Amino acid sequence: MILILGAGGFLGINLFDAMKLEGLSPRCGRRRRSNVLALLQRKATLIEADLDVPATLADAMRGCRTVVHLAGHYPRLSTDPAGTLAAGLRQTRSVLEAAAQAGIERLVYVSSTATVASAPTDRASTEQHTFAQAPGFGAYHDLKWHMEHLVTSETRFQTVTLCPGACLGAHDWKMGTSAILWQLLKGHVPPHPEGVLSWVDAVDVGRAIVALITHPSPPSRVLLAAESLDFHGLLVRLAARYGIAHVPPALTAREAVTLADREEALATTERRRPAISREIVDLIVHGPRIDASLATSLFSLQYRSLEQTLSQFEDWARRMGASVPHWRTAS
Amino acid sequence: MTPVSPTELQPRMMKMIAELSIIKADLIRPEHRLREDLGMDSVSSLELISMLAEEFGLNITVEEASQVVTVDGALELARRHLTGPA
Repeated sequence: MILILGAGGFLGINLFDAMKLEGLSPRCGRRRRSNVLALLQRKATLIEADLDVPATLADAMRGCRTVVHLAGHYPRLSTDPAGTLAAGLRQTRSVLEAAAQAGIERLVYVSSTATVASAPTDRASTEQHTFAQAPGFGAYHDLKWHMEHLVTSETRFQTVTLCPGACLGAHDWKMGTSAILWQLLKGHVPPHPEGVLSWVDAVDVGRAIVALITHPSPPSRVLLAAESLDFHGLLVRLAARYGIAHVPPALTAREAVTLADREEALATTERRRPAISREIVDLIVHGPRIDASLATSLFSLQYRSLEQTLSQFEDWARRMGASVPHWRTAS
Repeated sequence: MTPVSPTELQPRMMKMIAELSIIKADLIRPEHRLREDLGMDSVSSLELISMLAEEFGLNITVEEASQVVTVDGALELARRHLTGPA
C-alpha cells in the first residue's frame, strides 16, 4: 500500500492520476478541512493524515510500505521566517517519526529546486550540487533546505528526494507558480526580477514520482525541470501569446526583493495576494540552470513542452471560470 | 455522510461557514459574499464546498465549486445536487 500525504493538492491530484494510469491505487492522506472535491470525483480512498496531528499519521501509514510526502510546509508569504521554519521542521519530524514507527520502507519526499546550488563553473546544476548549509536567500529557501536536510539525514528507512522546478499545470487552485499565469490571463505582466526560472509540468512530476515509487533502486536525489529559461524573456513570450502590449522591464534583484517584501506586508494587512511574492523573487534571482537529464535517462521521462503545458493549463483555467479568449491562445 | 433534507441544509451549512470564516453562524446571511463579506479566500471557499460534498454525499466538481460567490450560491448548488444530478 502507498500513502500520499497532501493528496488533495496540486501535485497530489496529478500524482493520483499518474498512479491510476499505472494501475496503482494509493491511500490518499488529507487534512480534515481541505478541498478534496477532485479526489471525491475520482472515488479515491481518503484518510485523515494531518501533519499537525501525529496520531492521524500513525493511522494513515498503518500497513503501508511507501509514503509519498507532498505536504511539506509551503508558506504563501515570507513574513515570518522563524515561525515558518519551526512549523516546517515540526511537521517533517512528525512524518519521519510516524514512518519509522509504521515500518515504512521508502519515503519519497518532494522538495524543490530551491535546494539546488549553482554549479561552480558555467555548467548547469545537477543532483550533486547542494548547499552545505541553509543558503540564507530568504524564508522559502531556508525552509526547504532545512526540511530536505532532515529527510536526507534519516537512517531508519530509505528516503528519495525529488526536486522539481516551478510546477505548472491543471489543478493548481491554491495558485503557486500559476499565480503568474493567472495574472497574465487577466492582461497584467507582474513586476519581476532578472533571473532564471526552471519549470516542469505537474503531470511529469506525477510520472516521475511513480517511477521513484516503483524503481528497485532509485537514486537518493533527482532533479526535475523541463527547461531553465530567462524569466523576462519567458514573460515577453507569454505576453505575446495573451495579447498583452506592455511588458515592464526586469527589476534588479535588490529592487525586486524590496518590492516583494513591501507587497507581502501590504498583502497581510489588506488580505490580498501580493503582486509578486518573495518566494518567487528569490527562486528567480538565485535560480541556477538545471540539468535534469538524470530523470530522462533513468525513467525514460520525456518532458512536456511549454506549449503542451500552457494549453492544458488554459483549458483548466476556462473550466474554472477564467476568461481565456481563444484569440489569445492562437499563437 | 449524513442524510439531509433540503430544509435542514441551510442551518447545517451556516455552521460549516462559521468554522471557516470569522463570522458567527447566526450573523451569516444568504446574500453574503464568501470572500468579500465573510473573509474567506479562494482556498477556503473550495474547502467549504468540499465539506458540503463530503457531509451530504454530493457529487460536486471543482469547476462547479469555483463558480460559487455567495452563501446563497453555495446553498443553491447543494440543493441542486440533493434533488438530482445537476
